[in-house]
Amino acid sequence: MLRMAAEIKLSHTAAMILQAISTGYVYGFSIMEMTGLPSGTVYPAMRRLERDDLIRSQWERQSIADAEQRPPRKYYKLTAAGRATLETSRKRYPLLERLISTEEAKTT
Amino acid sequence: MKQPSDLVISLFDAALLRTASVLVPSLQREEWRREWSAELWHVRRSYAGIDNTFSLESQREITAFCLGAFPDALCLRTQPAKGIAAPVHVHGSALQTLLWLSAALALCFVISRLLPGVQAENDAAQYQIKPGVLLVSEAVASGAAPSISATLYQNWKATRQRFFRELAFYRIARETADAGTISLSLNVAHSTANLFRLLDLPIKYADGSDDAEGNLPAVILSHDTWMRSFAGNPHVAGHVLRIGHTRVRIAGVAPAGGWQLPGRPDAWLLESNAQIAAGSASRTNGYLFARLSPRGLASMSGSGISISARNQDGTEIDLYGASIPAPVEGPWGIYEFAIFLALVALPAVISVSLGETHVSSHRPSTKQRLSRILFFTAKFLLIAAIGFSASLDLAYSNTIGYSPFAECLQLLWCFTICLFGFRWAVADQRKRCPVCLRRVSHPATVGLASRTFLGWNGTEMICMGGHALLHVPSLPTSWFGGQRWLYLDSSWDFLFADNGVY
Repeated sequence: MLRMAAEIKLSHTAAMILQAISTGYVYGFSIMEMTGLPSGTVYPAMRRLERDDLIRSQWERQSIADAEQRPPRKYYKLTAAGRATLETSRKRYPLLERLISTEEAKTT
Repeated sequence: MKQPSDLVISLFDAALLRTASVLVPSLQREEWRREWSAELWHVRRSYAGIDNTFSLESQREITAFCLGAFPDALCLRTQPAKGIAAPVHVHGSALQTLLWLSAALALCFVISRLLPGVQAENDAAQYQIKPGVLLVSEAVASGAAPSISATLYQNWKATRQRFFRELAFYRIARETADAGTISLSLNVAHSTANLFRLLDLPIKYADGSDDAEGNLPAVILSHDTWMRSFAGNPHVAGHVLRIGHTRVRIAGVAPAGGWQLPGRPDAWLLESNAQIAAGSASRTNGYLFARLSPRGLASMSGSGISISARNQDGTEIDLYGASIPAPVEGPWGIYEFAIFLALVALPAVISVSLGETHVSSHRPSTKQRLSRILFFTAKFLLIAAIGFSASLDLAYSNTIGYSPFAECLQLLWCFTICLFGFRWAVADQRKRCPVCLRRVSHPATVGLASRTFLGWNGTEMICMGGHALLHVPSLPTSWFGGQRWLYLDSSWDFLFADNGVY
């Protein structure tokens, strides 16, 4: 399964979104801000990635959102297959890690 | 403090999301709306100014964000649910093309089976008169005009013939037929009882019962009369009707298109030799048919035979026995001729080269080349078969019986369909990737026509499977005369995602 996932060829956009999620941009708007892609690209791409089990979504707990007086958000994280695919994509797109690095996410 | 414009725009954005949500499948709609509402809340907060107001630029950004909900909703609408395999992307594929052609062929075939004219054409071709049967007429008369009297037939019948084994005779007369409720005016062929046997014509729906009416003279209806006046009743045999002053019994129906001899009878009244030559009928001319004996066959040269006979008054008359040509080519004969014409004319409408020039060292494997040849052959055969069925449908759509005009139409339609069908098959093949047989797409114009001698100009198309580029020059030159395939190596792979996933 992991091997098959790693063989999936992602477009550069999809690879950027996976990289953004892996570096800590875990909801749609933050991925938009990080990648500079419009909402009409980011959300459909995330639907497809989720359909192919490369990412998984999870709703934030209501109590946390209530405490911060905001609506709960839907967070995304990589699956094992998504991580394997991202590794393959990093080899295909060597600049991917430079575009969105982990350090950048930490400072954001 | 919120400004009225902010309120209007926020309502507008909410309306956009609600409208987009209509596109989302109902099972996912609630969660989708919840996610987008939450995201919108955060987007608005990030764009809000210190005093919680929005600049025009911010409003525009927020609205642009909301407009992105439409592609997302459409994505959910079109993508199959999780766990269901995505449909195979077959647009322009070889399989899709063959399926379409097969469907068209099946449709044409079904229609041709339903058209009575097509059946008549098949019958006409099936019931060709066998060699060895001659139409005997006066040497000076044309074959179409009746020239033999019933008396001469009787004389011949009464004397021993060296060259003829069997004789049959008929004459056409306009008669009124009374079938109880309906009265018809028919061309009745008064014929000898052996006419159908001599011509090897079968009688359909014949009544084998030997009832009280069995002694009445038998009449055979033509297929058209049977359809028109008896509504194609398969149990018509045995019915009694009156032709002229004679009560007759319907003995059966002649096959559609089976009659290819002079005259267009609506019915054949089978009479004895005595009735044929009785009264004034003896002086009426008709048609005489003779089956050659083995000796007659041996002595016959060419397509006819000259005969000298003595008339009743002892005078000599010159007769000519002509073998009956097959006036019906038959659907297959016409079809073969049309195919031949189409193949001869094909180079006039398209260059028959398939443009197999390659500009790289890569060559498709033997299996790929074989698939390409098989696909091309299958297309050609399907088009040829469609040409046969469709031309019959078109030619006989308005004709219920055999007609020479319909045969001409069939030839014309078959030629047209095959010629332009083959042209399409060749043109389509040139646009097929040699590796995956998909049609190349995304045409792009390359170069400038004004710089033809400096560099090539033309159209470049790409295989969406990422296998090859097709270069078609807009102006053939001595160094770039035809289209060329450029195979793509693995360095191009990153441009081509898997089957339409991303």
